[in-house]
Amino acid sequence: MTTSPPSLLQARPAAPLLPLLPALVLLPVLLLTPSQIHGGGLDLIGQFAGAALTPSLDPALLASLWHGLGITAGMALLGWAASLVLGVVLGVASARVVWLSVCGCAWPAALIRRLLALPRSIHELIWGLLLLQLVGLQPAVAVAAIALPYGALVARVVSDLLDALPRRSLQALTAAGVPAGPALLTALGPPLLPGLLSYGGYRLECALRSATLLGVFGLGGLGTDLKLTLQSLQFHELWSGLWLLLAVMLLLETVVGVLRRRWGMPARWQLGAAAVGRHGRELLLAALLLLPLLLLVGRGLGVDPLALLHGQPLPPISDGWESALALPWPSLIRSTLVLTLVAAALAVGVAPLLLLLVAPWPWGRRLLQLVWAFGRLLPPPLTALLLLFVLQPGVLPAALALGFHNLGILGRLLLESAEATGPEGGASEQALLLAGAGPRLALLHGRFSALARSYLAYGAYRSDVILRETVVVGLVGASGLGSQLQEALSAFAWHQLLALLAVYATLTLLGEDLSDRLRHRLLNR
Amino acid sequence: MGPLRLSSPPPVLELRQVLVAGRGQPRLDRISLQLRAGERVALLGASGSGKSTLIAVANGLLSPSAGAVLWQGQPPARSGRRRRRQQAAIGTLWQDLRLIEELSVQQNLNAARLAHWGWPRALLNLLLPLESAACSAVLRQLDLDPALLDQSVQQLSGGQRQRVALARLLRQQPTLLLADEPLSSLDPRLARELLDLLLAQAEAPRALLLSLHRPDLLEGFDRVIALRQGRLVFEGPPAQLSPADLADLYGADAQGANATLAFQAAEHPAPSGAEAPAGG
Repeated sequence: MTTSPPSLLQARPAAPLLPLLPALVLLPVLLLTPSQIHGGGLDLIGQFAGAALTPSLDPALLASLWHGLGITAGMALLGWAASLVLGVVLGVASARVVWLSVCGCAWPAALIRRLLALPRSIHELIWGLLLLQLVGLQPAVAVAAIALPYGALVARVVSDLLDALPRRSLQALTAAGVPAGPALLTALGPPLLPGLLSYGGYRLECALRSATLLGVFGLGGLGTDLKLTLQSLQFHELWSGLWLLLAVMLLLETVVGVLRRRWGMPARWQLGAAAVGRHGRELLLAALLLLPLLLLVGRGLGVDPLALLHGQPLPPISDGWESALALPWPSLIRSTLVLTLVAAALAVGVAPLLLLLVAPWPWGRRLLQLVWAFGRLLPPPLTALLLLFVLQPGVLPAALALGFHNLGILGRLLLESAEATGPEGGASEQALLLAGAGPRLALLHGRFSALARSYLAYGAYRSDVILRETVVVGLVGASGLGSQLQEALSAFAWHQLLALLAVYATLTLLGEDLSDRLRHRLLNR
Repeated sequence: MGPLRLSSPPPVLELRQVLVAGRGQPRLDRISLQLRAGERVALLGASGSGKSTLIAVANGLLSPSAGAVLWQGQPPARSGRRRRRQQAAIGTLWQDLRLIEELSVQQNLNAARLAHWGWPRALLNLLLPLESAACSAVLRQLDLDPALLDQSVQQLSGGQRQRVALARLLRQQPTLLLADEPLSSLDPRLARELLDLLLAQAEAPRALLLSLHRPDLLEGFDRVIALRQGRLVFEGPPAQLSPADLADLYGADAQGANATLAFQAAEHPAPSGAEAPAGG
């Protein structure tokens, strides 16, 4: 065999390097940042950081925050529960296997799936603001804003799970003359449950974040308090709210994690994997306890679903289609896509990079956990507002805010996997450490090799979520289609609004399709 | 000039009164042993006798509750570069091989050099085929085709994977070779082949400690150490291992073990030149 020196032309990144490649976006970001800095708010950022250690403990404030947290948690819980009900019903209705069993044809499933793509592609914030305009401020708005898009998302997962389940037992039952309904329930119900519950737990965490975000935009609860304290530069009060929210979020994540393990549910990365649920009685008891809790919360918040049917008088339509056509579409779409790509690359690439950097120090991982927890809990518009203290408005602060938020979500998942024992790279990492490799190189070679593809597949899914979320930072005046949407909403320019929603939905669906293909390629190579 | 006084080098591995606590009874109970350069030592015992624990103590995976471990006469450093240098001199052949499935054979072989490489070289290894000549040489040493270098280890057959794991061990260039039941999942022919390869690598200054549960594979070892319930119950040349010792070691399995020993005696008479190990 010839052993000529390797040429750069032969360069081909191996699996462990793949999760790090998106971090290359840091180069242009770091190059661009100095030109975007304005000195105005540096002392404000200093005050904000300093106040973290001295949150206000004023009893009146704490009582108000506690009340706000109750409203946020209640909205999240009700929205989540409604989305699960909607999702299961619509998911079953859009599963091919169900229609094939009932009438021998699959086209109704495809049709319902296509129709559900629309509510799914519109972010809960837009749903919230639209409903706010249509029916006025009332508790049911936030609940419906969460339930509609989440319901459509859950429906997609349910139909995917149902269609991916093995059908041998279903065929055996139908061959024995069992009618379609009972046969489907018996053969597919039990194996669907673990995946559904695991995903449901994850959606509850998301619902808490969404309810906080909706509050930032005036729909009540802790988010509203956080935004008001930030806008009035009351950083000590702001931190009281943030610490409270952090405690609740970490508690919820811990409880969901413990229940997921106790009930034998699949981990989030392996939603498609087969798993067997355990402790069926506990599950049933939990479901039964949830019902009265939901009724109590609904009554406490004064949620009246029927109120959503009574619209409020709207001002006359102020625009025509010509105003929609006059919008600078190419630049709006371009800045939205740039924002998505930069934020996604930051989130996906920086998480493994940071994990590698802190690998030699056990406390480094705990510090990362804390930073990532803040990333998850701090609604991106608030981060964007904070960044606007020192950066000029534009794509950069919006991308940094969105990137930081999603870094918190991806980082947590990556760390959970990096600390899990078992065949996913743990043994190889240990073998390399015992052969004298340093902790960083052992983590990179031994652990990232095994995690790379599933992590990137999740990153592809997250990128598609980020595209949907660009509206959130756009709405704080940063850039792209989001800021235009805000203008159209506040000016009651319904034609512009419809055109913007249609473009947003189309972009989101294209992004979803692209990320699906990428994920499929990564996981089934 | 006075007479030259030669002091013997320290043992490659020394355990002094090593105790590893367990639930109820210790997993290792006051074990003392030495491995000198060039020695090939087999570690026998039934399942749960403490073989894997002893290998884990020997390679630094496990710290003993009491007693001392010495590598080349030195206690293990707590952490840092010195510890990494010490670990680099200990090569373990794992029962589950622990190859990195997503990487090529060449990248797996080079991963054994990470203790000596800085970041730039380690990153280049994930981009380019590095040190092909050295990698080809270890493959040839084990009768493997260097054309395998470019293949992903996922594409290898079972036998090839065993040899690549051994090649990675050689590429590490350790002084102490440890192997934790490397033959347990192999068919008899493959087991013998791999064992011969391992024994051939254990020339001084190297030493080999290999755990086994099959007494029929003792040919070629200089010494046998046997454990029962965490205690050292036999130490000596393989030829001295009697059916009664085996019955003592394996209990209910003794009949099978005796049969394999009888088979071994008939097929491969014990080497007459088996020497008692220095300091054993």
